[in-house]
Amino acid sequence: MPGALKAKAGLLSLLCTFAVLAQETKTNSDAVFRVSFMTGVDFVLRNSPTSRKYLIETMPGGVALLDYNNDGLMDVFVVNGGLVRDPMLSPYSFDRHDPAYWNRLYRQNKDGTFTDVTEQAGLANAGDTNYGMGVAVGDYDNDGYPDIYVTNYGKNILYHNNGDGTFTDVTEKAGVAAGGWSVSAGFFDYDNDGKLDLFVTRYLDWSVEKNKTCGSERPTYCPPGEFPPVSNILYHNRGDGTFEDVSVPSGIAAHKGHGLGVAFADYDGDGYTDIFVTNDVTNQFLFHNNGNGTFTEIALDSGAALTDDGKMLSGMGVAFQDYDNDGLPDLIVTQLPHQPYVVFHNDGNGAFSPQDMESGIAALSGKSGGWGVGFEDFDNDGWKDVFIMQAHVFDNVETYDTSLRYRDTPLLALNHKGHFVRANSGSDVPVAGRGAAFGDINNDGWMDVVTTSLGDRPRLFLNRGGKLHWLTITLRGKRSNRDGFGARVQVNGQVRFATAAGSYLSSNDKRLHFGLGSAQTADIDIKWPSGIHQVLKAVKADQFILIEESVQP
Amino acid sequence: MTQCLLWVCLLLQPQSTAPALPPEAITLLQSGIQAENLHDLDGAIDAFRKAADLAPSSDIVFFRLGDAYMKKGDYASAIPPLKHAAELNPTALPVHQLLGIALLATGYAAEAIPHLDMVHEYGALGIAQLQTGQPAEAVANLQTALSKRPDDPDLLFYLSRAGSSLASQSLDKLFSTSPDSPRGHQAKGQTYFAMKMYPEAAKEYQQALALRPDLPGLRLELGQVYAANSDWPTAEEQFHLEAKEQPGNAEAAYRLGEALLQQGKMKEAAEELRRSDILRPDMPETLYSLGKALTSSDPNAAEHAFARVIELEKETPLAAQAYLALAGVHRKLGKPQQAAHDMQEFRRIQALTSPPSPTAQ
Repeated sequence: MPGALKAKAGLLSLLCTFAVLAQETKTNSDAVFRVSFMTGVDFVLRNSPTSRKYLIETMPGGVALLDYNNDGLMDVFVVNGGLVRDPMLSPYSFDRHDPAYWNRLYRQNKDGTFTDVTEQAGLANAGDTNYGMGVAVGDYDNDGYPDIYVTNYGKNILYHNNGDGTFTDVTEKAGVAAGGWSVSAGFFDYDNDGKLDLFVTRYLDWSVEKNKTCGSERPTYCPPGEFPPVSNILYHNRGDGTFEDVSVPSGIAAHKGHGLGVAFADYDGDGYTDIFVTNDVTNQFLFHNNGNGTFTEIALDSGAALTDDGKMLSGMGVAFQDYDNDGLPDLIVTQLPHQPYVVFHNDGNGAFSPQDMESGIAALSGKSGGWGVGFEDFDNDGWKDVFIMQAHVFDNVETYDTSLRYRDTPLLALNHKGHFVRANSGSDVPVAGRGAAFGDINNDGWMDVVTTSLGDRPRLFLNRGGKLHWLTITLRGKRSNRDGFGARVQVNGQVRFATAAGSYLSSNDKRLHFGLGSAQTADIDIKWPSGIHQVLKAVKADQFILIEESVQP
Repeated sequence: MTQCLLWVCLLLQPQSTAPALPPEAITLLQSGIQAENLHDLDGAIDAFRKAADLAPSSDIVFFRLGDAYMKKGDYASAIPPLKHAAELNPTALPVHQLLGIALLATGYAAEAIPHLDMVHEYGALGIAQLQTGQPAEAVANLQTALSKRPDDPDLLFYLSRAGSSLASQSLDKLFSTSPDSPRGHQAKGQTYFAMKMYPEAAKEYQQALALRPDLPGLRLELGQVYAANSDWPTAEEQFHLEAKEQPGNAEAAYRLGEALLQQGKMKEAAEELRRSDILRPDMPETLYSLGKALTSSDPNAAEHAFARVIELEKETPLAAQAYLALAGVHRKLGKPQQAAHDMQEFRRIQALTSPPSPTAQ
């Protein structure tokens, strides 16, 4: 093996001792997951629904899977909403000083339980004027410790990881507070300079004063079209702990929408990471990275802006990975009920075509609204499956449409060579699902999911595992950014784009997981953002490996 | 339409049976007519009223007085002299025509009906019948009126209202007389469907089917309930049964094709949609779905189907959709210039047909 490769085979043997299971909701033998709350995680996502139907109430909240202390165990960070009074009276406060409304960081212990370390980590009290939304994780200063960026209605917060179990709010110095209503965010390196930049989606021009309710007899949340659209924000990392807002010169700010989700991938293989933004009842945005610091929005002309019937999507969550193993990243966008989730297949040559019907996704959706979403190989057969958190936007939807329901169960669909077939997720408890973060929480080689639901505790979908093989890769950039975000990694023909972004409001395990089916070895082909091409042959399956960027002298 | 009828009426002359008028009355009648010609309606009314005082048995004088009120738009004041004229000369059709319209315009629809009926004023008669709860008669008379003035917007408007009212009345009768009949359940199913109460609608259709499994169209409607609720496999079952029972029904084939399409069964969908297109050629929706079903497997055939939709639809929202789909096909076929042109057309038609966004900037 090349010297750059450091294998950590059999890193952890927590499978037998993992002890997070409590209050299991279902134990069907064919279920892919065991679903439970996590021991020690007492967080409740408090969105504070009111009769005034303030739009922010129905939108939170995110979840991140990260190893903040580099002990090899996935920790969990969850974003809380805040107190919304009924009615809100000026001066407005979401009471985020109250511990009930704090965001929370839970450190995973060796026995699989969790300990709340929020206060000692310096993450308590997210600011009374901030109503929490989402989270992005990335090592923006390449110091080896993941930093946390929290989006809010209000001001966003960048927490620098000090490497000693604590974080420091560096928002002001970094210049990334944004403002308005931020939703999803993600770190990526758009100019391949080895430093992670930051993209923030913003939803719409809303304030307590501008809030409206829709529906006369049964007031409910207004659709996004009732509020002016806004632009998203791109921050360029200067490398000195500060960021520059380059939204205008990059061309990002020229496009206004109702942004919710964001995901990154190099869809056209030109070596530069592109951006896909889901918009709610506006055209979706695909920002093509021109490689010179600017972006061109090309969703409509590339076929990724509208449904195949030319209708706008209520775009919410998004995943941007290759589901049909043709080497090109595809898109799935979740939306409201009676609007099937849309799969935009990457046809090559910069073109996408809706394939929700051909892929089977259309037939599996339509009755439910979708939020957090991920293309992950849950059964390790070498094909990425799909998991979607589902629920309606309106908490009173049943009162005016008996065919719909507010709370719902997640959708799990297994990928049979490009065609999705519904599978038993293991959960039959309907929830007001929102965020979903994907990762291997117990380091057993099988992908898990941690989800958020309004008014509820996070749930762990712990993969029950199986006999097929797998490989999980941690990238260590040298010339590229330290996490290798933006790398194209091919393993036995399957491709993943290195990123923690995607889903809805959430941040995923940054490690790259591959199901290998019956294969016991893997050939790995990596194209780093720096342009370096690295190949590893016959790597043994069923291990966690760390691959350092091979920088030739 | 009232205005229109008035103009028609003014061309007619009443058949007077009254004795000769006194000379003063004739003078006043002439000066009234002269004032009318000069558009001095108040002067005309004043002259006709004075003439009426001098000749209380002259139906002509009362008719002219009522007519002048009508021209002034004072329908309520027109009624008494017109009624008096009708009493004096019950066979004077123009009097009845004006009186019927005046009564209808002032809300006395029931009273207007015999007068309008007498002069075969079908349009106004239909409106009066609609207002008095006789939608069946209204539909018949409005259709007769429309046969002479097919584009009259008032007639079209009232016919649509009469049709709805007739449907509603028929349903009420069906519910009250035969609530548990197959048609009763079917009608209830339709009502629930319109209210988006899909489980309730499905239940009603199932009850109808249990009673009359052979009733044509029931499974088609039940399938549409399942389809609206995104339950495509069950919808497919129903459409399949309907298509089997009615192999010549183009809609059943189209719906079945759509259900198959939604489930990604592209080949089977294309077969059914082709069958539908043969049964009822050039239905744009069928051709559009057929294009979608063929896009991956046979882009050239898909191109043809979408092009035909555009030919048929020109600048409708469906034509815009077809251009968007055609752009995708052209990208697949490696025809980027044609795709760019399609997108241009898509944008153009979309701009023509989309309502402006309330928050558009």
